[in-house]
Amino acid sequence: MHEFDDHDSIILCQSCDLAVRKRALPSSARALCPRCHTALYDSPYCSINGMLALCVAALIIFIPANLLPVLEIHFLGSVRTTTVLQAAVTVWAEGYWVVGLAVMVAAVIAPGLLILSIMAQVVIVKLKLHNSFWQRTYTTLLKNHGLISQMTMLEIYVISFLVSAFQLSDFSDVYFGMGTFSFTMLFIIILFLQREYNLEHMWSYVDA
Amino acid sequence: MPSTPITPSNEHIVDSTKQTANTDNEAKTEVLPHIQGKKIGLCLCPVCRKLNVTSNSHCRRCFSQLSSRNYASIQQSWALLVTATILLVVANIYPITLLTNRGVVTNDTIFSGISHLVKTGMFPIAIIVFTASILVPWLKIFGLATYLTAISFNLPISKRKLMVGFHIIEWIGRWSMLDLFVISLTVALVNMGQLLDAKPAPAATAFALVILLTQLAAKVLDTRLLWDRLENTNDTN
Ligand SMILES: [Zn+2]
Ligand SMILES: [Zn+2]
Repeated sequence: MHEFDDHDSIILCQSCDLAVRKRALPSSARALCPRCHTALYDSPYCSINGMLALCVAALIIFIPANLLPVLEIHFLGSVRTTTVLQAAVTVWAEGYWVVGLAVMVAAVIAPGLLILSIMAQVVIVKLKLHNSFWQRTYTTLLKNHGLISQMTMLEIYVISFLVSAFQLSDFSDVYFGMGTFSFTMLFIIILFLQREYNLEHMWSYVDA
Repeated sequence: MPSTPITPSNEHIVDSTKQTANTDNEAKTEVLPHIQGKKIGLCLCPVCRKLNVTSNSHCRRCFSQLSSRNYASIQQSWALLVTATILLVVANIYPITLLTNRGVVTNDTIFSGISHLVKTGMFPIAIIVFTASILVPWLKIFGLATYLTAISFNLPISKRKLMVGFHIIEWIGRWSMLDLFVISLTVALVNMGQLLDAKPAPAATAFALVILLTQLAAKVLDTRLLWDRLENTNDTN
C-alpha cells in the first residue's frame, strides 16, 4: 500500500475524472472542478455533539409529524382528517401499492432511517467503539448514506401540503392540523442536520 | 498483484486552490492541460470516493469493487430511459385520479387537473403542479437523452453545458414526487362515498415508475465516459 502515500494529495473529479491537487481550504469554501464545475470537496468539518442534539430533536418530532393529522376538510357537515402515514397506507389499500410504497419511503421510511443512521454513526464515533462489529456497522451505514439521503423528500412533501390545501379548497373548507406544523419542523431540523453532516469527514474516521 | 505506481509530474496536475470558491462567489479559472485519473492509473471508489490505484480490484477503505469506467452504464441508462419515456406517455394519456362529486364521476388526467386549476384562478398552484408533473419529467427525459446521445455518437456539444444540465436534472428530478404526495393526501381525505370521493387511477402507478426509472437512469450513468470520448475532438468547452 506504500505507493498511495504520494497520491494522497491528489483527488479525482467524480464526474469527469480530472486529476486535481488537493489543498487546504478556508472554512465555508468548497473546491470546484476546473473543467466541469462539479463540487470536489469542502473543508471536512462537522460537529459531532451538534449532530447528536439535532438527531434527538428530529427523533422526538418524527412521531407527531407522522401520526398527527396534517389536513382536515369540512364538507357538507362531515369532517375528514388524515396523517402522512395514513395517506400512504390509503393509496396502498386502494391497490396502488407502487404509489403507496413510493410515498411511504420518501416521507416516512427514508427520513426515519436517515435520523437513526446518523445517530448511530455519531454514537459510534463519540464512544470510540473500535471492535470489529461496530466498525462493520459504521462502514455499512456510511455506504448507504447517499441512497437514504437521496430518498428523503421532506421538502417536497411540505410543498404538497400547500398544493393539496389549495386544490381541496375548491369544494370544501380546509384546515391545517398540528401534523403540518410538526412535519415542517422535522423538515427544518433534518435540513440543518444534513448541512452539518459531512460524509467525507465521517469516512475519515475509518482511515484513522 | 504488483502495480506500477505512476507519479505524475507536478505541472500536469491542475492546482485546485485556484478553483476554490465561496458558495456565494464561484470563481472559475481556466487551467490546462488536463489529465484524466485513468491515464495515471488512479480511480475513485464508486461507493466511498476514496482514491485508489486502478490495478487493485477492491477499495482500500470500504472494500467495494473498483472499476475505472463502467462502459455498460450507457446501455443500462438508455434502456431505463426508453422504458421511462413509454411510461411517461402512458402517464400523460390515462387518468391519474377518479373523482366522484354528487354521483358524477370524472376522470382527471395530469393535464386536465392543471387546466382546472387555471380555470379556477389558482395560477401559482397551477404553475407548481405543471412544473413538477409535466415540465420536470419531460425535461429530465430530453436532457438525459441529449446527454446519452452526445456520448454514444460523439456529438460536438459543449461538455461543460451538458454536465451543468446533468447536475440540474439530478437535482430537480425528485420534485416530480410532488404529484404523488398530493394524490395520497387527497385520496385519504376525500372519502365520503357517493357524495364526494377521490381514488387513484392507473396513470399514478405509471408516473411513480417514471420517477424511479429516470432517477435510476441518471444514477447508473458513468459521466466520466463523456469526458473520455469527446477528448479526441477538439472540444475543450
Ligand atoms: Zn470534473
Ligand atoms: Zn471505497
